[in-house]
Amino acid sequence: MKPAAFDYARPADWPAALALLAGGARPMAGGQSLGPMLNLRLAQPERVADLRHLPGYAGVEVQGEAIRIGAGTTHAAIEDGAVPGRLGAILAGVARRIAYRPVRNRGTIGGSLAHADPAADWVAVLPAFPGHAVALGPYGERRIPLARFVTGVFETALAPGELLRAIELPVLPETARWSHWKFCRKPGEFSKATACLLALPDAPPRLVLAALDTAPLVIEDATGLDPAALVTSISDPWRRRLALTALRRVLEGAA
Amino acid sequence: MTRRPITLTVNGRAETVLAEPRTHLADLLRGELLLTGTHIGCEHGVCGACTVEVDGAPARSCILHAGACEGSGIRTIEGFDADPVMAALREAFSAEHALQCGYCTPGMLVTARDIVLRLPEADEARVREELAGNLCRCTGYRGIVHAILRVLAERRAT
Amino acid sequence: MTEQGVGASLRRKEDARFLHGRGRYVGDIAPRGLLEVAFLRSPVAHARLTGIGKPEGAEERVFAAADLPEIGPIRANSALPGFRASDQPALATGKLRHVGEPIAACLAASRAEAEDLAAACRLDYEPLPAVADMLTARAPGTPLIHEHWPDNAFLETRRDEDLSDLDAVAAAKVVRRLRTARQSMAPLEGRGVLAEWDPRLEQLILTSSTQMPHVTKTGLAECLGLDEGQVRVIAPDVGGGFGYKGILLPEELVCAALAIRLGRPVRWLEDRLESLTAHANCREHHYIVTAWADAGGRLLGAEVDATVDAGAYSCYPFSACLEAAQIGSIFPGPYTLPRFRYRTVSACTNKPPILPYRGVARTGVCYAMETTLDALARKLGLSAEAVRLANLVPPEAMPYRNLVGKVFDSGDYPEAVRRAVAAVDVPRIRARQAAGECVGFGLSVFCEQGAHGTSVYHGWGIPFVPGYEQAQARFTPDGVLELRTGVHSHGQGLETTLAQVAHEVLGVDPARVRLVHGDTALTPYSTGTWGSRAMVMAGGAVAEACRLLGERAIAIGAALLQAEPGTATLRNGAVQAGEASISLDQIARTWFRHPQNLPRDVDKGGLEVTAGYRPDPDTGTHSYACHAVTVRIETETGLVTIEDYVVVEDGGRLVNPMIVDGQVLGGTAQGIGTALYEEMPFDAEGQPLAGTLADYLLPGATEVPSIRIDHMETPSPWTRFGQKGIGESGAIGPPAAIINAINDALAPLGAEVTDLPATPARLLAAIEAAR
Repeated sequence: MKPAAFDYARPADWPAALALLAGGARPMAGGQSLGPMLNLRLAQPERVADLRHLPGYAGVEVQGEAIRIGAGTTHAAIEDGAVPGRLGAILAGVARRIAYRPVRNRGTIGGSLAHADPAADWVAVLPAFPGHAVALGPYGERRIPLARFVTGVFETALAPGELLRAIELPVLPETARWSHWKFCRKPGEFSKATACLLALPDAPPRLVLAALDTAPLVIEDATGLDPAALVTSISDPWRRRLALTALRRVLEGAA
Repeated sequence: MTRRPITLTVNGRAETVLAEPRTHLADLLRGELLLTGTHIGCEHGVCGACTVEVDGAPARSCILHAGACEGSGIRTIEGFDADPVMAALREAFSAEHALQCGYCTPGMLVTARDIVLRLPEADEARVREELAGNLCRCTGYRGIVHAILRVLAERRAT
Repeated sequence: MTEQGVGASLRRKEDARFLHGRGRYVGDIAPRGLLEVAFLRSPVAHARLTGIGKPEGAEERVFAAADLPEIGPIRANSALPGFRASDQPALATGKLRHVGEPIAACLAASRAEAEDLAAACRLDYEPLPAVADMLTARAPGTPLIHEHWPDNAFLETRRDEDLSDLDAVAAAKVVRRLRTARQSMAPLEGRGVLAEWDPRLEQLILTSSTQMPHVTKTGLAECLGLDEGQVRVIAPDVGGGFGYKGILLPEELVCAALAIRLGRPVRWLEDRLESLTAHANCREHHYIVTAWADAGGRLLGAEVDATVDAGAYSCYPFSACLEAAQIGSIFPGPYTLPRFRYRTVSACTNKPPILPYRGVARTGVCYAMETTLDALARKLGLSAEAVRLANLVPPEAMPYRNLVGKVFDSGDYPEAVRRAVAAVDVPRIRARQAAGECVGFGLSVFCEQGAHGTSVYHGWGIPFVPGYEQAQARFTPDGVLELRTGVHSHGQGLETTLAQVAHEVLGVDPARVRLVHGDTALTPYSTGTWGSRAMVMAGGAVAEACRLLGERAIAIGAALLQAEPGTATLRNGAVQAGEASISLDQIARTWFRHPQNLPRDVDKGGLEVTAGYRPDPDTGTHSYACHAVTVRIETETGLVTIEDYVVVEDGGRLVNPMIVDGQVLGGTAQGIGTALYEEMPFDAEGQPLAGTLADYLLPGATEVPSIRIDHMETPSPWTRFGQKGIGESGAIGPPAAIINAINDALAPLGAEVTDLPATPARLLAAIEAAR
């Protein structure tokens, strides 16, 4: 299928992007989720605002104890080591298993997070980090804790007219323990169950269970967690079993 | 929606074509520039038949729409005639019987070339993982995997 | 064998164009003034169509059935007693019978604009309850899909034999209920049609991604009321067939009628959504198998009750009953089954009409027979191998006629099993099992009838019966050998293998042989490429045409060499007599350009021969194989990993072993899809639920292991070089072998999988059920 007709705009700066949004344009980052939706006519925007060329949209900056990842940074860049240190190694491992390389070359961390597909990798992984999504609106920037950014299936905490500009994550010590498990029958398939766990020194382990039919489940302190109690609301027996397996694997596997 | 001029570089040549913003790159290449070597298999970004190089990296041309291509450099299967890696891959694909109907082949080759250049140490498991986004319905993949491993080995040996 | 003749792994002549992106598929062809078609398709499975509202101002660009009365319905009847005919309208009339059924053609300069038109059409219909389950399709009170029928079935076939005594004498009896999923064949290139009207020749030129251009031509002429001289069908490069393109399409008829009506080229290219949802059309079988065996595992008898979901219409040319009715004749498989009783039903449902997919009914039948044999083996405490060896047709019985009249030409079936088992370290698998690992080993054995001809097909009484396969061989004035065949090559490598055949006979360098195929105006009539027939039939025809052409060349060459009659021979592409020799090039040049030098008694037919070929008997070749699979199962998730895959295959004499391996590997990959991944689910309303390849999973490079192939080469006594049809073979064995391996692994848990594909969810459900 071919898309319904739409107009295309390429804002040169952030105010122009916000203005387009205010006019009803659909923001597009790498377009790897929106593209198929346009082709299937599941999305029929009147206008698409292509964010890729905004200044500072892509790129990684270390700012003291924080690492700021531009929302337009591609999965491939992260896979290839754009993010430094322990955090970068963790994110690279996640990125490598997103879709396929030609998709990772275009798809972006911010686009994926803002799209908020419950099965998507960044949606599942980023809430494990004590960091923020940086939103830009007409009033300026605001920071939304990653654990509360995705609020539902294809729903986020972004207000109408806001754009996701960057993701801020903490520099991680080399001793940070990380465990991540997802179930796909074949590479690139949407996950049927994802869990991840981040344990920082002197902090309780943070755990996320995702690829559910809700927003990801974030447990700020997974100490003594009973995995079985967490999955009772999943009605499909296989998906429940997978979620349970995901939880058990990450609880055992954090190293 | 009206057609608008889109300027891009294709296989080293500057081109300006008229296209609706909704036209995807694969249709643009095939319909406007008559570069029919790029094939359309699903238009959902899954099968990989339409894979071309965009600004130096493989991308799905079926989910990239005309406007977003403005100013981009595109290389299609027709644009690799002087490329030694592609020449080696073509030779290996034929020797290893890595193609039958030929429909997935152009996208497969673009991906294969990226694997060879980006992952010179790749083993069979890694090659298979990297090929996961390119579907072939004819060969069962063995010939394709062997062809890529052959070129990797040749390059490591020289 | 020479380095380029029959038996050589010659590299493919066709590769170069594909490797440079220069293949020419129907979507690559866009004549001036082209109009693209988007079809308005049924959104529901069953309804009464009451009205179509065309978008205002676009009335003359939207064509419904009433606008194209010149298109007659597609009729694919069978002469089998009791078959009920269904007329398939090219565009829906009165009723909608499956999701995706074409209702109207919308034309525009681009596909996107044509889709805009389709989206703007209004559709009025009264929904009817959908018949989505083949097993309840005939239940009283079920709404009728074809209202003049007594119930929703195209055909029921039976073989009655009283098996009631077997309960008392058998050492073991098993009953299994088994199900295979509805699939989409999913060649990477979808279907596509370009129709043009040539006013000079008063001829319709239809370019279509088809496996059978001549049959399509006949069908087009019939449905459009044209004479066949007014129709030319071209099949350009075709991006995979597998049976999906062995059909006369409603879309072909509509595009043809529109091109004639409008005098402009009209093109429709199927997209993936259409392919998956409107055309998921194969493999859906249900079996209840009962089998009895003695203590040694020897089968005493079997009873099969089989239902095939044939969908809403009978497709041209294979009909809606080929698949189900065939189950009766192929269920005994490679075994010496002594007693047999069956009933088969071709159920009519509100789903896309069924087409034969690579292996046709054999994939399901093999699955049913082989899983049942393993169930018997488990019950008797015998190995899977022992049960196979107790029942396979022995080599000394060849040629063997089984109890339903199938004749097997040659081979050593037990040896295939022995070799397959020997290739696997079975004791190690048993040791791993004993150590608690969830691993399993499974076998499947089957034979594949290929190239079956007139004597088999006339009985079906479907729209075509394959007869003598013809080929033309001719020299051009510069000595290039041109071969013309009605079979079409779409991945099988016929441009290479038929050149090898020609080389074998005439000694011409394969590089100087050109195959012309895929154009009804240029090639002799043929039923096309299906049923693992091309290499046997066209190979035989090309060999015969080349032999006759060689005789003519020898006669001319001998005269030019002034040799004694009968002393000249053809060797290495030249006619030789004693020390003297003249090349075929020179002979060709003489015929075409220096006829003054020809002998007076020269054959005036010249250097152009059409020859026909049919094996005798033409009941078909039987290639056969044993697949041996090792799987590992993750019991926490239900994930199955194929650790090892062995295929022992006998395709008779292999014309090009490299290409045969490619066929076996590709078929096996498709069979792995059938076993583990591919399923088009339909809901109770008949809605297909997988609309993209992210939902309908095709095996990728990580799902298909490095398959090990071992060849046996028992020539068929009936074919030109001893070759057997082998194109479908790989797709037949995998579901049976893989599920047997899975059930071997699950046996300690008391669990068993019976439904395909064996998804993680189904595996976990089976494990749960056994707890």
